[in-house]
Amino acid sequence: MDSIRNFCIIAHIDHGKSTLADRILELTGVLHTTANAQVLDSMDLERERGITIKAKSVRMPYQSGSGEKYTLNLIDTPGHVDFNYEVSRSLKACEGAILLVDASQGVEAQTIANAYLAIDAGLEIIPVINKIDLPMAMIDECRLQLEDMLGLLTNSALLISAKDGTGVPDLLEAIVSRIPPPRGSSDEPLKCLIFDSYYDSYRGVIPHIRLFSGSLHCGDRIMIKSTSKVFEVDEVGYFLPQITPSDRLVAGEVGYVGATIRKAGDIHVGDTIISPDYVETPAILGFKHSQPMVFCGIYPIDSNDYGKLTTALEKFQLNDSSIVYEKESSAALGHGYRLGFLGMLHMEIALERLKREYEQELISTMPSVVYKVVTTRGEALMLDNPSKFPPTHYIDHIEEPIIRARIIVPNDFVGACMELSESKRGTMVSMENPDTRRALLTYDLPLAEMTTGYYDKLKSVSRGYASMDYDLAGYRSGDLVKVDILVKENQVDALSFVAVRDSAVPRGRALIHKLRKLIPRHLFEITLQAAIGGKIIAREDIAPVRKDVLAKCYGGDITRKRKLLEKQKEGKKRMKMVGSVEVPQEAFMLLLKMEE
Amino acid sequence: MRGLYIHLPFCVKKCSYCDFYSLPARLGSLESYVQAVVHESCRYAGLSFQTLYLGGGTPSLLGARNLRNLVGGIRKSLDLSKLVESTIEVNPESATSELFEAVKEAGFNRVSIGVQSLSDHELQSVGRIHNAAQAIEAIKIARRLGFKSVSVDIIIGLPGQSWSTLRKALETLVGAGVAHISLYCLSLEEGTPLEKSPPEDLPLDDTQAQLFEQARAFLLGCEFAHYEISNFALKGYECLHNLNYWRGGEYVGLGPAAASHLYGRRFRNRADLDAYVERPDGIIEDVEELNARDKASEEAMLRLRLLVEGLDVSELAARFGQDNIEPLTSRLDRMAHDRLLVFDGLRYRLTPSRILTSNPIFAEVLCF
Repeated sequence: MDSIRNFCIIAHIDHGKSTLADRILELTGVLHTTANAQVLDSMDLERERGITIKAKSVRMPYQSGSGEKYTLNLIDTPGHVDFNYEVSRSLKACEGAILLVDASQGVEAQTIANAYLAIDAGLEIIPVINKIDLPMAMIDECRLQLEDMLGLLTNSALLISAKDGTGVPDLLEAIVSRIPPPRGSSDEPLKCLIFDSYYDSYRGVIPHIRLFSGSLHCGDRIMIKSTSKVFEVDEVGYFLPQITPSDRLVAGEVGYVGATIRKAGDIHVGDTIISPDYVETPAILGFKHSQPMVFCGIYPIDSNDYGKLTTALEKFQLNDSSIVYEKESSAALGHGYRLGFLGMLHMEIALERLKREYEQELISTMPSVVYKVVTTRGEALMLDNPSKFPPTHYIDHIEEPIIRARIIVPNDFVGACMELSESKRGTMVSMENPDTRRALLTYDLPLAEMTTGYYDKLKSVSRGYASMDYDLAGYRSGDLVKVDILVKENQVDALSFVAVRDSAVPRGRALIHKLRKLIPRHLFEITLQAAIGGKIIAREDIAPVRKDVLAKCYGGDITRKRKLLEKQKEGKKRMKMVGSVEVPQEAFMLLLKMEE
Repeated sequence: MRGLYIHLPFCVKKCSYCDFYSLPARLGSLESYVQAVVHESCRYAGLSFQTLYLGGGTPSLLGARNLRNLVGGIRKSLDLSKLVESTIEVNPESATSELFEAVKEAGFNRVSIGVQSLSDHELQSVGRIHNAAQAIEAIKIARRLGFKSVSVDIIIGLPGQSWSTLRKALETLVGAGVAHISLYCLSLEEGTPLEKSPPEDLPLDDTQAQLFEQARAFLLGCEFAHYEISNFALKGYECLHNLNYWRGGEYVGLGPAAASHLYGRRFRNRADLDAYVERPDGIIEDVEELNARDKASEEAMLRLRLLVEGLDVSELAARFGQDNIEPLTSRLDRMAHDRLLVFDGLRYRLTPSRILTSNPIFAEVLCF
């Protein structure tokens, strides 16, 4: 066990994590050549967005300069603001972390957030300054920032260029010399952490695990601590990075276990696997549980596909355990699910993956945060869907979640970031200068503002330079009202939204106006209204269509005529019925788009 | 009842709204085209036709000799002895006395003149190469040479068109002795120049609908019957060839892009002039044979376009079997109950107020 080193790389997005991982894999001989391929980012989507979403592990043999042989386990971590939870569970499987900083960018918001998580998890941290080959590299400034902002001793910081490989051999030496080996004994009862999982259609759920004590062999019986379910192990092994079966896994090792786990609900990432012979073995603690902050409804476009959606969600949750979901039904959209996400980017990625990898045709509704609705009777209701709010006259007041955001931005853009944050109802907590050219702004902001494009706007007003990280800071009472949308007197539950009273009227008007352009004319007049309680705050009408007829004869081409009618009818099938009105699916995402 | 349609895919200049299959006429190409059509007609040797319709394109570009060769040529293989109606489409710019003489000589008893509008501004705005005076002259010549059955096409919704220009045109046409008027609403067909850059004064659907309603009222007042969605005629001057389309009858189309309906099958020649001239009987595509139930629905949809005649389901039952029309009948009854159709105990007809919004009704009749 003394020869094992379990470590991860933590970095701000684009600071070179995947490139460094490729170099390490090459140096250890696991990977012979890399033609552009970033091995750990196997999902198309990850490569497209340039971020690592799913944690994975790779086992590598390594012979140190002194001739000793080691086994290195690199556990990948995601690097975006929404994925703290996945970072925390990856960290739990390691003894050390490489904190990677781009020498041309310096410490960014996620560098800080991830470093704190690693420090809290008690990991040995190796500060590494990357991209030293760039002409804009500011090595001394980076050292200062690491010391000032994170309190790290930087005389031990390594200087590397992951791109050309400079310094990477020294980094490997530092990994074996500075990161402690895992503790725990293979003779003690089994205890391992599930830090990830994936679904294989032949073998069922395959958990990725880190053994803290005991050992695992084919034929062993294992128990999932939280559910007490027992399974028989039919395969163990590790990733090289391809899946490689082995005889056994022992304490300190990282790998996978196959045990014909058929149902997604049978295991949860973060759970502990123990031996059914030692049921008293305690669960691994200190695991930060995911807390969904943003919710939206998803509905199959064809309501007959509800069953398929259910299956897809079950499998998807195995891959992304930070997603929560429950059944929901909407008068307008039928049966669907309400999904909870860690943040807006997480939501976008998850919906995109559901569509692409799980081939679901979906309508997703306007994202919402969890509001605390306090009724006149004094009850506090936690509601993640505005359409579930009690009638206005039963509501005493509404509280909304507030986040504390840390924004690092070059001095030139401080004004723009402040202006944006104030306009998004933010209140400044502090402003510091971590170095001479940048400011660290701390703001308290309503989380709801994140759902309407705050992050994208922050990026755009700072020309991409601002970085941000946030965590939940509590609830605050606001002058909030729920706005309902009525289409021909039928309330469309999926279009209700919560707004600050002052902006409710303009937003209601804008939404109604967009709806008028989006909903096709019908044979009858359609009245569109926005209302707060019973009070109408905006109204527009869609005039009835007067002409919808195929006039031409087309030289007797009846087939063409029939096909035109067919096409017209096909278009209608993709609409959702609100009373007698056909509403295009785009309408349900309108509010989101309006903010852009 | 069986009709023969011959497509002449040539135009001097393509109009900006047109998406029909037509090409610029090339020197010498008309002769070889006529030969190709005659060749293709052999495929249907022995079949008898009651109507003939020469459409385009611009059939009047053929000229006297080609016209004679064409009709003479197809007569060798097809039985045209029982023809009751022979129509040729004539564009005003080519409507000379000589042409009408030749048309008459070739046996045509009906002319359909592509008037489109009697406002020079409107005609120019969509790239027509004739003017109002030429159009009026064309009608006069046809009438003078003894054509009783003169039809004209009028477009509703031309750029700059108003009820005053449209009414004036209709008055002039009725006064000139026209017996049949087709009113087509201008539609922006994909890929046409008009669709790509529509002029600012292009009347929108609502205006088109209003103009159509006004024109309809005017023509009804002049003893014209609104016998099909786009067609108005004095009594006895309905277009038998087109009626046959709407009654689900058989027809053969010759020429590229021409559609046929024969022995229960619908099919069409590919829209490819060169391939056609090379192998006139080898470019059939899109063959479609519907089952009895769909066929009955299709015919019901077509017959509901006949606003006066309407749809008698007992005729369909006799041809397609009672079982195959029952679901259709229940849909029709439901629509009659919803007042989309009028049922008089024997026939279903479109409710007049729904003529211009009949697509959803037809889609329901077809029940995809």
